[in-house]
Amino acid sequence: MSSGFDRLRRALEDDFDASSGEPWSDEHFERRALEVFHAQYEGCAPLRALCDARGVTPDAVGSWRDVPLVPTAAFKQLDLVSAPAGPDARVFRTSGTTRGRSARGRHHVPRPSLYRAALRGPLRAALLPDRASIRFVSLIPAPDAVPDSSLSFMIGAAAEAFADGVDWLVDAEGRWSPRAAEVWADVVSSGEPVLLVGTALAFVHALEREGRAEPVLARLPEGSRVMETGGFKGSGREIGRTRMYAALAGRIGLPESRIVNEYGMTELCSQLWETVLCDGEERGRSHLPAPWLRVRALDPVSLEPLPEGQEGVLAFYDLANAGSVSHVLTEDIGAIVDGRVRLKGRAPGAEPRGCSRAMDEMMSAAGR
Amino acid sequence: MSRDEGSGIVTGDGTAAPTEGPTAAGVRAVCDRLARAAPGLRARSWREIADVLGAVGERFLDPGDALRAEALDALPEEAGYSPAMAERVLDGMARDWTADRIHAMVAAEFEAPACLDGPCLVGGRRLLAVGPTLCLQIVAGSVPGVGVSALVRSLVLKAPTLLKPGLGDVSLPELYARGLSAIDPELAGALVVLYWPGEAAELRDEALAAAEVAVVYGGDTTVRAVRAAAPATTRVVAYHHRVGLAVIGRDALGAGLEAVARELSLAVATFDQRGCVCPHSVYVEGGLEEATRLADALGRALERLESELPSGPLASEEGAALQQLRGSAELVAATRGGSVRHGGGKPWTVIVEPEDEGVGPPTLARGVRVQPVDDPRDVAHRVASVGRHLQTVAHAGLGSRVEAVASALARVGASRIVPLARTSFPPPWWLHDGRGPLRELVRWAEVDPG
Repeated sequence: MSSGFDRLRRALEDDFDASSGEPWSDEHFERRALEVFHAQYEGCAPLRALCDARGVTPDAVGSWRDVPLVPTAAFKQLDLVSAPAGPDARVFRTSGTTRGRSARGRHHVPRPSLYRAALRGPLRAALLPDRASIRFVSLIPAPDAVPDSSLSFMIGAAAEAFADGVDWLVDAEGRWSPRAAEVWADVVSSGEPVLLVGTALAFVHALEREGRAEPVLARLPEGSRVMETGGFKGSGREIGRTRMYAALAGRIGLPESRIVNEYGMTELCSQLWETVLCDGEERGRSHLPAPWLRVRALDPVSLEPLPEGQEGVLAFYDLANAGSVSHVLTEDIGAIVDGRVRLKGRAPGAEPRGCSRAMDEMMSAAGR
Repeated sequence: MSRDEGSGIVTGDGTAAPTEGPTAAGVRAVCDRLARAAPGLRARSWREIADVLGAVGERFLDPGDALRAEALDALPEEAGYSPAMAERVLDGMARDWTADRIHAMVAAEFEAPACLDGPCLVGGRRLLAVGPTLCLQIVAGSVPGVGVSALVRSLVLKAPTLLKPGLGDVSLPELYARGLSAIDPELAGALVVLYWPGEAAELRDEALAAAEVAVVYGGDTTVRAVRAAAPATTRVVAYHHRVGLAVIGRDALGAGLEAVARELSLAVATFDQRGCVCPHSVYVEGGLEEATRLADALGRALERLESELPSGPLASEEGAALQQLRGSAELVAATRGGSVRHGGGKPWTVIVEPEDEGVGPPTLARGVRVQPVDDPRDVAHRVASVGRHLQTVAHAGLGSRVEAVASALARVGASRIVPLARTSFPPPWWLHDGRGPLRELVRWAEVDPG
């Protein structure tokens, strides 16, 4: 089975590498999606059990849309893996702040090469449309410091593919490197553009340090760009994001249109990117999925697909997840417009009702 | 009574509220004004105060009263309930706001209630029970009516009260303040209802500094933050996040199964699982077969209840969370055993889990987990890991084993063990999270006349 899976993996990697960034034809996506489902039905016992219980076997499935959805919460309760672990297999863990019996979800990635292949093209299009490589300055810890972080793995893989060099300014415990000032002095004197990467919260912390401690940011050379990820999605801090972008842009001396948001999650190997560097603020502030990642907005109660532009719960079919499960139901809310995702942030100041936050506290207090 | 739309302040005494939105200085001014109301309050007897409070409370039960009509008009949207559920919740909560119930609460709490009015002999000592000079009530908002119950507790102890309501429970305390000002301006002057957003820490801190006692209802994060911010001289009475569960013995699974399922469905549905009394997990004596039988009956009862007491509308985020619950439960059931039944477009969800699945996180929106248990006395051991968050345990069909099961559960954290039919609305004198609702607020003074 492993060799069968590896044939599929190689075919997918070839497809990813050959992809121009244009959407795949429905026929091509469908063919690959059903091949992936067959492999997952064979390899992933929990998925097979669910399919059998619902009578949704590979013979009976004519479209990827009919493959049972796996909620991200299930990654906390079950090992969802569809192929034997390769020598460089990874298990990425979620941060443990969402509800579930286990505090942290786990995403098995038996073949990280598929992850790397899925990362390269869309990242280049979003962050490096004008050049082949660039110096990275990262406020995300290095992958060897946090081996179970999918985000650190992603930055490490991106650096392998595109970095002229990487400076890691934050360690696994979130401490700033004592080399930060030295790194920025070098960046400024070189005059060469850099790619600054970080989470929203890392940028907030960096900005809050200003004036209180030694600065950990600097005015960046012209042509530099920023990759920002996570932190504000669904957290009620959309206003925070707007303000943070303005403050960050002011501090590093670049227009806000040089800040690119990446939307991804531990449970998906593919990403969605804003395309502001190419498309500008108007169009580029929605998220473009990788061509092998199909996304739908579903009615939150009936799970029926919603028409274009209507907000619902986001569901993905990610071919790069071939090694685990591909049809993933998230808790994120957004709308699909012209093939792109418009993420919804909770209304500013809104407080979720009931115990949805409290239940996390309860489970973490119970040490689960 | 005046209400300044911009400030979110409702006062009882007709003085002008600040014209700007709530500020730390505004909170300080409110606290100063409340302090000035204290002498008038202390000059009155608790019985007189209870009668006035009860007269306002009774208006919420009177079908012809405009205050009740306004409350029923505001509640569905504010609390996210269907109109039928809003009425059930108002009836259940306001039942405890009458003069009779407030008198009964005081009588249940104090061996000699006269000690609230002056020193009197209690257990061989002369004691005076003194309410806080200022009581700050920070209310969560997940269950409407809790705010009014909270302010009744402190006002009857003659404590000027600043109530910070939570979203979802703003209208009832505001309407109550208005009702109070209509019949007793002096007493109304001792009450201010003032909303500020949870993140406005400087307003909270100003109020905490002024209060002798701060009562906080909320999630653990909120409670932790209030405790950390309170001065050493402000006593914090905290009601942190709690959940309920149910234990169903074999005797309830026979001919009476449908009736038990009906009562259980009401306990699950009332407050749409947002109350600390709501059972999130049900332990059924027997094996998977018995658990499944109860789950089937419960599913039918919850489905029927959707026409009688419809669920409130779900926000997208709540719907998304419900789908996570259902979808992951189905996957786990297919893999490890158990089953899931739900209402499709209606949010009720009943999940049967095998015995060894462990205690699950609380559910939402009329979701409930059902697990078999060989011996109901083992439930305490099963839930011990979440014992500090346990509150109400509902029981049925346990026969003579009730006390043994209850004692074991009390020892791991439960504070209220009641028959299924009494789950949703405890009486006003209930030992709230194990402590007396009024005794928790007073300071005792020992008086030795020499």
